[in-house]
Amino acid sequence: MSRFLPHRFALHVVLVILCLVTLFPLLWMVTAAFTPQDQITAKALRFWPEDPTLGNFTEAARRHPIWLWLGNSMLTAGLITLGKLALSLPAGYAFARMEFKGRDTAFWIVVATMSFPSVLAIIPTYIAVVKLGAFDSYGAMIVPMIPYVGFYVFYFRQSFRQLPASMFEAARIDGAGIWKQFVQIGLPNVVGSIAALSVISFLGAWNIYLWGQLVLEDTTRKTLTTGIAMFADLDGAQTPWGALMATSLLSVLPVLAVFLMAQRYIVEALAPGLADK
Amino acid sequence: MKTLAPWIFVGPAVVAVIVFLYGPMIASLVLSFLDWNLLSPDVGFAGTRHYQAVAASHDFRLSAWNTLLYCLVLIPAQILLPLGFALMIHGVRGSRMGPIYRGALFLPTIVAYSVAGVAWSWLLNPVNGLFNEVLSALGLPRSRWHTDPQLALLCVSLVTFWKSFGLNMLLWLAALTTVPQSLIEAARLDGARPRRIFFNITLPLISPTAFFIAVTTLFSVLDDIVGVVDVLTGGGPAGSSSNLLYYLWQQGLGFFQFGQASAVAMILIVAVLLVTWAQFALVERKVHYE
Repeated sequence: MSRFLPHRFALHVVLVILCLVTLFPLLWMVTAAFTPQDQITAKALRFWPEDPTLGNFTEAARRHPIWLWLGNSMLTAGLITLGKLALSLPAGYAFARMEFKGRDTAFWIVVATMSFPSVLAIIPTYIAVVKLGAFDSYGAMIVPMIPYVGFYVFYFRQSFRQLPASMFEAARIDGAGIWKQFVQIGLPNVVGSIAALSVISFLGAWNIYLWGQLVLEDTTRKTLTTGIAMFADLDGAQTPWGALMATSLLSVLPVLAVFLMAQRYIVEALAPGLADK
Repeated sequence: MKTLAPWIFVGPAVVAVIVFLYGPMIASLVLSFLDWNLLSPDVGFAGTRHYQAVAASHDFRLSAWNTLLYCLVLIPAQILLPLGFALMIHGVRGSRMGPIYRGALFLPTIVAYSVAGVAWSWLLNPVNGLFNEVLSALGLPRSRWHTDPQLALLCVSLVTFWKSFGLNMLLWLAALTTVPQSLIEAARLDGARPRRIFFNITLPLISPTAFFIAVTTLFSVLDDIVGVVDVLTGGGPAGSSSNLLYYLWQQGLGFFQFGQASAVAMILIVAVLLVTWAQFALVERKVHYE
């Protein structure tokens, strides 16, 4: 063991440097969020707020309904995640545990969408949203984002396949129907996978930016990440940097908390799902 | 009943992807041959006019060239560097710092494009951004960074990499944790060197993940870059940091040129399908499933 110690120490040094470089823009954002506006634009650079203040948050809330945006972000990210699970869990289960005609074709139709860049579908979807009169609604923000379930179906199929067939056999002998087997045997045994993908979906949905920019117009319906763009042109001289950084920080904190709580779970759940056919 | 039940399970997902993902692709194909501005009831047939207009456009060619550059640089970087980071984090497994490194390096991935744009456009700000302050302090000339046509593409690539390497790193790391330590130990006792262990034991065992990453990275890079370009440069200056997906976005939703934007979408779909087909043909045979 001891002969690996210097090696490990070098790894720690490299990793710490790597983390600092990676985190730097965000660390700087945190500093700016608590620095008074007049000091942010001063030329001298600071890495720590000299007169820490919460003024940027109150200034942001005075300019825009940021707390309402926070609620909108929660609502949209939550509903998109629920929608994705509702589509992908039963599908993954059936692809893993049922024999039926056309199964492989249906599976590939769904899983091939894993590789569709979302921008490719955006124009016809936008036209449809406008023509249906759904422009600037929560529905327009949420519904078109749900069908990106290719990865979810692929992944849940792997999870359900790894469960021993004998469990389902036993339930069947006890008289459990297809639905009961899914709900009582299938779901409880893939809780880890469900948790991991819920977190991944939530993180992604929380940060939807381009689509939200397109279909959300009314200030009261914006999410945090789309609302940020309302703080003015990023290169403009009039940009209220303090309020902008405070709002940015507000949008990062919830997802950061969710990720930190779940990260161990995510790595553990991803491992068998991808490594085993 | 028996034959219907599975379709109750898979039906919603199949219908949803057909309506919301395949539907728009087909609609794009149709739109690319039509003259229609969405507002007027008149719909005309355009033939291949949109394709010709696109092909003749200087902006399209520049965007296509940039996309090629992006892909050639970003895709290998987006696959190999996260593997390097994952190997390092895996190398200190058991340490209390492991989860901290993992969380810190993944963090940019969970930050929204708009937030990333805010943070980076401040750092890169040509007037009083931090990077320029540092250059000045070191006595070096200041740079215009993403507002310099020579550097815009590089800046956008850098921010895109920063923003998206985390997921691949997590996937590599997840795969590395599945490799049985006993195999590695046995090889080490037999005198195998780390490089040999990696290529002969680790890599074959994680090859399904490697294949997954190889196939999905193209799309994640293309998807991420639109958001980064939109918030950081808007494709400028003078189109120098644009790419085909952003060009499509601008034509369609900035200028409402649905026909031309759809033509670009079709060209992209064909290109993406070709690349995917090539990846499957070349790589999948080497994937080792247990």
